[in-house]
Amino acid sequence: MAPLVAGGKVLVGNAGGEFGVRGWLAALDAGSGRLAWKAYNTGPDKDVLIGQAFRPFYPMDRGKDLGIHSWPPEQWKIGGGTVWGWISFDPASNTIFYGTGNPGPWNHEQRPGDNKWTAGVFARNVSTGEAKWFYQTSPHDLYDHDDINEQILLDMPVAGRMRLVLIRPGRNGYLYVLDRQTGQVLSADPFGYINSSRGVNLRSGRLIPVKEKEPQAGRVVRNICPTASGAKDWNPSAFSPRTGLIYIPHINLCMDLGVLEANYVVGTPYLGAESKVYAGPGGYRGVLTAWDPVARKPAWEVHEDLPLWSGALATAGDLVFYGTMDGWFKAVDARSGKLRWRAKVDSGIISQPVAYRGADGREYVAVISGVGGWAGALVSAQLDPRDNSAALGFVNAVRDLPNKTKSGGRLFVFALDG
Amino acid sequence: MRLPKGRTGCLSHPPLSPPCIQGGRLACALFLCLGLTACDREQRSLNGQPKAETIALANDPRDLSYQENSYQLSQGQRLYKWMNCSGCHANGGGGMGPPLMDDEWRYGGRMEDIVRTILHGRPNGMPRFEGKITEQEAWQIASYVRSLSAQQGQDVLSARPDSMSASEPPTLAERGKVLPENNLTGPKDEQN
Amino acid sequence: MSGGDGLDGALFNRLFALFLIVSLTMLALVLAFLAAAWFRRGGVRQDGVADENGRASREPLLRALLIGWTALIAIGLIGLTFASFLTDRGMADAIPPDRRTINIIVTAKQFWWDVNYAFDNEPSKNIRTANELHLPVGVPARVTLKSSDVIHSFWIPNLAGKQDLIPGRVNDLVLLPNRTGVFRGQCAEFCGIQHAHMALDVTVESRAQFANWLAAQGKPAPAPASPLQKAGYLYVMNRECSGCHAIAGTAANATVGPDLTHLMSRRSLAAGTLPMGRAGLYAWVADPQGVKPGNNMPYVGLDANELHAVTAYLETLK
Ligand code: HEC
Ligand code: HEC
Ligand SMILES: [Cu+2]
Repeated sequence: MAPLVAGGKVLVGNAGGEFGVRGWLAALDAGSGRLAWKAYNTGPDKDVLIGQAFRPFYPMDRGKDLGIHSWPPEQWKIGGGTVWGWISFDPASNTIFYGTGNPGPWNHEQRPGDNKWTAGVFARNVSTGEAKWFYQTSPHDLYDHDDINEQILLDMPVAGRMRLVLIRPGRNGYLYVLDRQTGQVLSADPFGYINSSRGVNLRSGRLIPVKEKEPQAGRVVRNICPTASGAKDWNPSAFSPRTGLIYIPHINLCMDLGVLEANYVVGTPYLGAESKVYAGPGGYRGVLTAWDPVARKPAWEVHEDLPLWSGALATAGDLVFYGTMDGWFKAVDARSGKLRWRAKVDSGIISQPVAYRGADGREYVAVISGVGGWAGALVSAQLDPRDNSAALGFVNAVRDLPNKTKSGGRLFVFALDG
Repeated sequence: MRLPKGRTGCLSHPPLSPPCIQGGRLACALFLCLGLTACDREQRSLNGQPKAETIALANDPRDLSYQENSYQLSQGQRLYKWMNCSGCHANGGGGMGPPLMDDEWRYGGRMEDIVRTILHGRPNGMPRFEGKITEQEAWQIASYVRSLSAQQGQDVLSARPDSMSASEPPTLAERGKVLPENNLTGPKDEQN
Repeated sequence: MSGGDGLDGALFNRLFALFLIVSLTMLALVLAFLAAAWFRRGGVRQDGVADENGRASREPLLRALLIGWTALIAIGLIGLTFASFLTDRGMADAIPPDRRTINIIVTAKQFWWDVNYAFDNEPSKNIRTANELHLPVGVPARVTLKSSDVIHSFWIPNLAGKQDLIPGRVNDLVLLPNRTGVFRGQCAEFCGIQHAHMALDVTVESRAQFANWLAAQGKPAPAPASPLQKAGYLYVMNRECSGCHAIAGTAANATVGPDLTHLMSRRSLAAGTLPMGRAGLYAWVADPQGVKPGNNMPYVGLDANELHAVTAYLETLK
């Protein structure tokens, strides 16, 4: 992850949730580089920096040393909960918000319990690291639903009242609106196709799983939506204060998932799962959804054939930029979703576009090309598509990718004339 | 009738199977011979002390006891999952590590090259397994790795599928034969 | 058939007795008919001439007998089906739903038993052991049966009937032991070369003893004390062993071999293959393939010093 500098601290976390690590977030003093605090996401309260100030909204998150008691013995030491996504900072309350990664191994039968504090959101005091609240989007996560996606901090009306909220389109397919002062879920609406859960119980805060889609050791459960990569992975959405819409680049995929006993060997993956990913209902694999958070429904959607693995960028000119895995860099109308402009670059785009005003006073939009990552490994690492389970099953979903793009990597800068 | 020592483990062709009782002596002898040769693939050498290396240049003599042998191959298949090779290489298609079912070998595709890769690791992220698994296990895994690119006979494959989601066991599914060019010529990028 | 030391066993024995009586009666009847046929002077008239139509005169009797016989079989079969249904229900009902049950997950592996005591509300109290069950007398234990490779069968003759463990499926079984003692369980479905050496030690003990056992099993392994033990510890942590075995309180957390945290508290080694003790440990660690050929622990080839050290360390795992 890219470190975030906030409140005089440099914040960095660790990755490796598939290797049996123990997740943490550390703050270094921006001036001296010395370690200011380090908060683990599993284990005893003192390691997690949970103290007097900790006030989670839901009873499921209250109790002593839940980072131990919600795991089988020893398992929390290799339980994941890494921090490899985005951190948001609210200077008014001196608070940072960030999500924690999936619990390990993927085979959930090896870790009965809620597996705190993985797959949830923490609010912490940036100066001391002390936890303020926590909300777990996927207690006892079944599908590798890391909760590391971006959080958008907005002040907006909810049920007629202005609230300070935190919005996050989650891996599990729900767009959560949380009260960022308390961690209460104000709403959780699906923004993609979901059949592995029935919704979120707003009273207990718990996700309501569908029993038939629960993975079981030694068998393959078919047609689970969303996939392990989630209804939306790490690639961030954009918010436009002009339209009041959130532009969510995401994917429409389903999977077959088989779990088996994972064996912990230091330095090797700690996984216990095999999956096979394919297009979800409708046959398209990528979606750009313009979500109206006040009306709690999509304003419009654009379907993309390939999974949408780039970030979105909203500009003051009411354009939304994003890139596709076959190398089109596109601009659509922020209010209608109509395609306004596009350009083909040398390779698929899985990066985040930026806009800036150059020293010459002109406006530019820049994006890096170069397909790869989980979704593009078939091309960038030349995997073999005859194996359905290659790249944790993702290769199967993008078998056509080698015909549509090749590996590359360049920075493209477009000037906005006009 | 006595069987040569070491061949008695072959259960599918017991010495007194019906044709021997009913048929002529010649047929019986022929049948037994057939049974014995067919049983080589089932030979189990359990004590696991790899034979000493005798010739340096030719293919490693240990090849013979691990290749085309059902038992060693199926132990290798088990260990491939147990030691989490599958986490990085999937079931041959690759992921964090390169595919193993294709015809490209960065470090050579002979048994001894693969064993060396496993035991000593490779610079771009292949962990070193020496001391973590025994040498015999490394040979067993290598035998299985070669079967991923169809370099072992179909008849020695185990009936257990490689991949959980595969609908057909490998003994039934035809595996495309991929014969890499450098399969016999040795490692490409290795200086030793 | 199962003995009477468990609840299922007692009900099962009643059913077995019923089956025995019914089938013995039927057997006796069949034999009686056979004897009657043997001694009957059929087909020959009193004057010695063969009687081709002689059958006709007895046809009505024969018919009635046949109908009666068929009816008897049908009634018998229906009765037995009904009896086994009732027994099955009885077994299910006999477990008071509100009583505290113990949940045990047994996963069969070639060629040993992975045993997990699961506490749903408090997973951090879970306990993992191998090749042994401890059960408090008079408390129902719900055993969830799984397999991670091939089909095995779970059989403790004294306590209950056989139940298969099938890969990808979950079976279960309730044990309600009514007498303390040590019983032997055994895999009862051929599962490979070492099927015969796949035994399970079952200890039924008082509730207090069971609670003590649970508490002891929940503790992590002690740190090695002597230099020899320390050397053994380092070997186990850094070499092959930690890729297959788990020892709570250390970095070894693998699952493909038995958990060794409280190894020495078990009655036997390698699923009943060797008695527990120093001699057994030496024999096993030095050459597991010599002791139990074809099992899934490889011959590691420890030298004498390593062997002494590793065994010394293993002996601290009480
Ligand atoms: C942490 C991930 C990881 C694990 C675990 C892993 N590998 Fe690898 N493997 C790699 C990477 C990355 C490479 C490429 C190394 C290089 O190019 O230098 C590689 C290379 C190889 C190669 C060489 C391929 C060639 O083209 O020559 C073989 C063979 C191989 N691995 C087999 C195995 C086996 C067998 C296991 C299990 C015992 C295993 N690997 C475990 C990541 C892994
Ligand atoms: C490849 C995996 C593997 C490795 C490596 C391995 N073991 Fe084992 N071990 C097993 C398996 C599987 C069993 C169960 C064998 C059986 O009973 O069929 C076992 C059984 C045992 C037992 C008996 C446990 C019991 O409950 O009866 C001991 C003790 C043991 N191993 C010690 C060791 C030591 C010490 C090492 C390192 C020198 C080691 N093992 C290395 C897989 C392994
Ligand atoms: Cu068996």
